[in-house]
Amino acid sequence: MVPLSWYLILSAVLFTIGAAGVLLKRNAISMFMCIELMLNAVNLTFVAFSSYFRDVTGQLFVFIVMTVAAAEAAVGLGIIIAIFRNRESLDVDEASVLKF
Amino acid sequence: MNSLLALQAFSPDINFAIILPELILSVVGALVMLIDAFTTRADTGRGRWITGSVSLLGLGAAAAACVWLWVGSTNETQGTFGGMIVLDRMRLSFTFVFLIVSALTILISMVWVEWENLPGGEFHALLLFATVGMMLMASGGDLVIIFLGLELLSIATYVLAGFRRTDLRSNESSLKYFILGSFSSAFLLYGIALVYGATTQAVNVAGRTDFIAGTTNIREIAARLDTALYPPLLFAGAAMMLVGFGFKIATAPFHVWTPDVYEGAPTPVTAFMAAGPKAAGFAAFMRVFLIGFPFVTATSLTLTSSQAHAAWLNTLYILAILTMTIGNVAALVQSNVKRMLAYSSIAHAGYALVGFIAAGATDDAAQRNDAVAAVVFYLLAYSVMNLGAFAIVTLVARSGDRRTEIEDYTGIGFRAPALSFALSIFLLSLIGVPLTAGFMGKIMVFRSALNLREPYYGLVVIGVLNSAVSVYYYLRLIVVMFFRERTTEWNAPRVPASIAVALLLTIIGVFYLGVFPGQVLDAFQSEQPAAVNSVAGR
Repeated sequence: MVPLSWYLILSAVLFTIGAAGVLLKRNAISMFMCIELMLNAVNLTFVAFSSYFRDVTGQLFVFIVMTVAAAEAAVGLGIIIAIFRNRESLDVDEASVLKF
Repeated sequence: MNSLLALQAFSPDINFAIILPELILSVVGALVMLIDAFTTRADTGRGRWITGSVSLLGLGAAAAACVWLWVGSTNETQGTFGGMIVLDRMRLSFTFVFLIVSALTILISMVWVEWENLPGGEFHALLLFATVGMMLMASGGDLVIIFLGLELLSIATYVLAGFRRTDLRSNESSLKYFILGSFSSAFLLYGIALVYGATTQAVNVAGRTDFIAGTTNIREIAARLDTALYPPLLFAGAAMMLVGFGFKIATAPFHVWTPDVYEGAPTPVTAFMAAGPKAAGFAAFMRVFLIGFPFVTATSLTLTSSQAHAAWLNTLYILAILTMTIGNVAALVQSNVKRMLAYSSIAHAGYALVGFIAAGATDDAAQRNDAVAAVVFYLLAYSVMNLGAFAIVTLVARSGDRRTEIEDYTGIGFRAPALSFALSIFLLSLIGVPLTAGFMGKIMVFRSALNLREPYYGLVVIGVLNSAVSVYYYLRLIVVMFFRERTTEWNAPRVPASIAVALLLTIIGVFYLGVFPGQVLDAFQSEQPAAVNSVAGR
């Protein structure tokens, strides 16, 4: 059996890649995909604990996270389309009407 | 164990009465959406008024249900749905703050949706769903409910921020809020996952090591801190949750999104975001950390629970200082009123954090309740004066939020005296001038930090110094309004009835909370959340 720590390390690595992507990527869609990666890394953690200790709570949590992620995707893509219609670009560096 | 589970499956612990306010608002929200769907295009003008009034009635009904719970509830913390929902004074008082914020936002926006020619029904429905989300955040006894409430609130607010679809500023605000909001939710969620795993317990059954899987119930977490199987994961998880909540209430290192989002969002939505979601963030933040990682009167610091408590308290101490200072200093140099108020809202979150720290630093239940009540009172006071100020900013900005620079306020003092005086009252209250709500709120929060056995003198001194700094930028706006000559043409805006009502209510609120705070504070006082004592007593 694959030890629990491997799963946890994998999900930590995935989460870090996702977080780094959000901070480094300049395209709104890519940033959004990185956020999805972070959420799925969390799901992996939940499922790993849940299956290792034979408990359903973690799996229930995963269902809720997936549902929420779907709702977030719908709204997020709607926002991205709205901004694309007005500006014809998805580069977040150009989103600088508001700045310090 | 198995028979217990079977029993639970057949007679689950369901008590709909305890979530009555949330149920009412959800139903009314759906109803508002239906009314909107059946309104013909020719009727949109009337439709807006109908959906607005129905929403206000729904909020009133929810408030009535809340009062009913308040009167009927013992002071004990009750749980239901298997500990998913709790009923205590902290939840009810926060719920009241949310309902007031939501009702005032509807009053402010009633005419605004007409000016902007926006779909009013959608706006009101989203606002109601966001309110349900906030209420769930305050009532969640389990991290699942808190996460769900947070997302319900956030997703509705992302849409609200981008509500003026054709305006680039609104789009940008919405995109930034969406990216950073989901980013922080992911952090919070990772924290929850780690805590869930870390609170696993190892037990010996007939010589064999067996595991009891982790928990997401906040009280249960508190009880399992010392027997947690993976203490390092517990610390990592708590830190991740702290970051996630820190984003939501905009504490200093995590505040960078706030000014952009608040400036770009439509003004009534900014008013809502600065008051409601911030208070909801505080509600969830305080519940998770005060009850999940409580004060431990342990003699040895080697216990995981006391280390965890010390760690989050010290982190919050630094965050509070940073938040107050950065918020106030950055507000000094702003030229846009909405942006200035955004930084001021960061600073106010810092003051409220002082009360939160005081609540976390004491093992005395009465003192902790005092501090929690002080924080709720502070957030209520802040919501009232902030919504009042934003109501006037909405009026001055006109359609399309075109006039939000400080220059646009030059010399309006004697052309629109009522509005300018009202705005001055709110600004003075934000400074914390005596007899206003802001003053009382600050006094309560600082007092709770000084009443401790080891008082936080440093924190309070920094808080007071920061209030002194804040005088400059609030007064500057008053000076600009009354003591500068206006050279360009300016007509005083017509004050619509709904905004007049909102202004009247907020002005009464500012003075009522400032002069007679006792009644509200007493009502917010809860008798005891017992988790702390049970852990300390073990």
